[in-house]
Amino acid sequence: MKSKLTMIAASLLLAAQAGAAEQALNNKQLQEQIEALQNSVKALQQQLDRQVAATPAAEKIDIEQLATKEELQGLTTDLENYKYQVQRDRDTKTALATRNLVIGGTVQARVSYNDLAVNNAVTDNRKSSFDVPTAVLTFTGNLYKDYEEGRNLSYALRFGYSPQSNATQLLDTSNFNLLDANLTYQLLPTLAADEGRLALTFGQQLVPFGLEAAATEDLKPVINNAQFVGRYGFAQRQIGIGLTGDLLPEVDYGYNYRAPLIKYVVGLVNGNGPNKSDNNNKKDFIGRIALTAPAEYNSWWRELTLGASLYKGTNTLFVAGSKVGDGVKDRFGLDLSYNHHPFGVTYEYIRGTDTVASGTVLNPVKTKVDSRAQTATLFYNFGEQFVKGYRSQARFDDWWPVSYQPFYRYDEFDANTAKSNDKTIINTVGLNVFFAETTKFQLNYNRREDQATNTKSNEYLAQFQYGF
Amino acid sequence: MKKTIFSLSLLSAALIAATPAWADPAKVIRIGVASVGTGGRPVVGGSSAGTAALRGLLEEEFKKDGVKVEWHYFKGAGPAVNEALANKLLDFAWQGDLPAIVGKAGGLKTKILLANGTLGTTYLAVPADSPVKKLEDLKGKKVALFKGTNGQLVVNKVLDQYGLTEKDFKLINMDTATTDAAMATKDVDGAWYSANVFTLVDRGVARIVWSNKEGPLSLTRQTHFLVTEDFEKANPEFTQRVVNVLVKTSADISKPENADKVLQEWAKSGTPYASYKRDYGGGADIKRRSSPLLDEFFYNHYRDAVQASLKFKFIRKDFDVNQWFEPKYVNQALKEQKLENFWTAYDAKGNPKGGK
Repeated sequence: MKSKLTMIAASLLLAAQAGAAEQALNNKQLQEQIEALQNSVKALQQQLDRQVAATPAAEKIDIEQLATKEELQGLTTDLENYKYQVQRDRDTKTALATRNLVIGGTVQARVSYNDLAVNNAVTDNRKSSFDVPTAVLTFTGNLYKDYEEGRNLSYALRFGYSPQSNATQLLDTSNFNLLDANLTYQLLPTLAADEGRLALTFGQQLVPFGLEAAATEDLKPVINNAQFVGRYGFAQRQIGIGLTGDLLPEVDYGYNYRAPLIKYVVGLVNGNGPNKSDNNNKKDFIGRIALTAPAEYNSWWRELTLGASLYKGTNTLFVAGSKVGDGVKDRFGLDLSYNHHPFGVTYEYIRGTDTVASGTVLNPVKTKVDSRAQTATLFYNFGEQFVKGYRSQARFDDWWPVSYQPFYRYDEFDANTAKSNDKTIINTVGLNVFFAETTKFQLNYNRREDQATNTKSNEYLAQFQYGF
Repeated sequence: MKKTIFSLSLLSAALIAATPAWADPAKVIRIGVASVGTGGRPVVGGSSAGTAALRGLLEEEFKKDGVKVEWHYFKGAGPAVNEALANKLLDFAWQGDLPAIVGKAGGLKTKILLANGTLGTTYLAVPADSPVKKLEDLKGKKVALFKGTNGQLVVNKVLDQYGLTEKDFKLINMDTATTDAAMATKDVDGAWYSANVFTLVDRGVARIVWSNKEGPLSLTRQTHFLVTEDFEKANPEFTQRVVNVLVKTSADISKPENADKVLQEWAKSGTPYASYKRDYGGGADIKRRSSPLLDEFFYNHYRDAVQASLKFKFIRKDFDVNQWFEPKYVNQALKEQKLENFWTAYDAKGNPKGGK
């Protein structure tokens, strides 16, 4: 038994010795591994030190310039909030259109006094009135945008309100009539300013006869149109087709100024006004050519233009409400304008020939009546309203160059040149005050002399006009 | 008749009452700037005139005289400044070489007083993902250029070196803001820029394919400060004082220790600090480019520019640059401020002419 125990103890001792030897071996290996790892770390550290040393100073990272996680989260939150707000506003507060759309308009609010009373037995008996003479709502935009050459297809849709006739006023109604409804296609490239342009307009549009009928504010300071515009029907839109172009443009890039030597318009229209089919098979012809002095911007010849316009039309004649045939409706005009800030001058001479019918339906009498009109305007600008580059300044506020424009216009219309003493002459003096980008205040005094009725009257108009 | 007379009298009275009280030229100094900041803000960098406006230095100078200083920043750049000068709406203007040359050749009565931003950079950039690698790759393609500005002259000189003309490209006249938008939407295949190109590069919108940074000095653009002959004749003392302030400002912004502050001020224009820093070689180029000296290099550059403008048909009439420059004011300012040797004068070829 004792020997057995001795053997077991000897065995255990041997085993313990063997374990200790193995442990010593493992420790040695571990020590070697640790040393190898330490060497690797040292080598890596040295490599890193060399790389850092080789990094240019500019690329070294400044710990203070690094964004913190909180800062990045703040920025991310801001972006998410912005995206949410944009999407939300688009869903609930944004007007959308199928194509590019610009909405604009013009409104006039007027007070007037005329010492010759308007006295209509049915409705009116007044010398003064508050009016909204016009309110126009405009939609324009591109239907096709040609990125390569600028041969764009654009549209215009315009509705206008005008005071109603006495009879309509009794009904207390108002109409918002369709004014313009047309498409315009640029037949020639428009990207280069120093090349000619050619555009085709199809649909209901204003007839570009002379200066006054289609004039913009820089050439027409007066509240009322010259008499010939209404008397010859040029205030009305016509339905048809027109080609508008220019040739040999003078481009002065030093002033961002473009003035074509020749501007021209040719077109065909129904001739019987807006929103109506033609009442005959003959189409009215419109043609205009204008020559502008080929001058640089800083030249006394700048914006000196001579123009000629022709309207050759057919008028359906009626006697007692019955059609009795066709007559002529011809107009020919010459115009001269010199718009050289700060002053400007315009002159227009127009002759018209109209066939009028009288007699009976069975025996109509057709007579040609010649008429004549001339109008001249002088104006002077105090302020920079019409200096294009000056208006477009960088400002922190809603700045606008307040401008004052006094003017004088002589306007004569002779309804029948065969008759003497039947002219209507209106002399107008006035002042325009441009006090905001799209808003002006106008004062006009009209001295009207009606030779046919031998009456003279004085009219005073004050009006705000604003656009948006 | 009585009523008519009354009406006319009333209208006349209204006209007189409405007529604005025109500022006496001696009481208002009107300065046109042919540039605007990003988004159409009335702040610009890149010149001592820009810094003087930012710091209100001219306002301070004339405060004691009760003279008002008006700064007009034109979105239409140099051409719009010319339009305002032609209509007698400005007394001084900060403008580039080409528009001023066009104005002078066309009859604007101006005098160049001092250099105010020289060796301007020009970059040709394309949309970032464009396959275009070099200038010639853009032949026949749409390229935006703000015509009438001094960039147009540089571009024509560059194209001339490559045997090209404007007609080899579909050059579209666009102002700076429109060009930025067109580049972002890729409406154009390329565009010519100044330092503001880096705002698009940094956003990953554009890539620079050509610049005049390493090119000859003849391909750089210059800007200056001018006065109308009318104002100078009527107000020589005010003219001198305006030049004094600008020269003093040029000296201040030229000091290396002020570079960082100056670039940060200019960044208020909306062109980032980093863009100016890159454009001005980290700030090291500010002194050279802010020199007000009408040295031989500047004279020669304008003589060359007049001849190049004739060649490229930007103007039709030659004129004498010597008669156009009026160096007496800047020379007087340099003398008074003891700055005659502060900036290096350069010879006609752009080499340092003695001095530093």
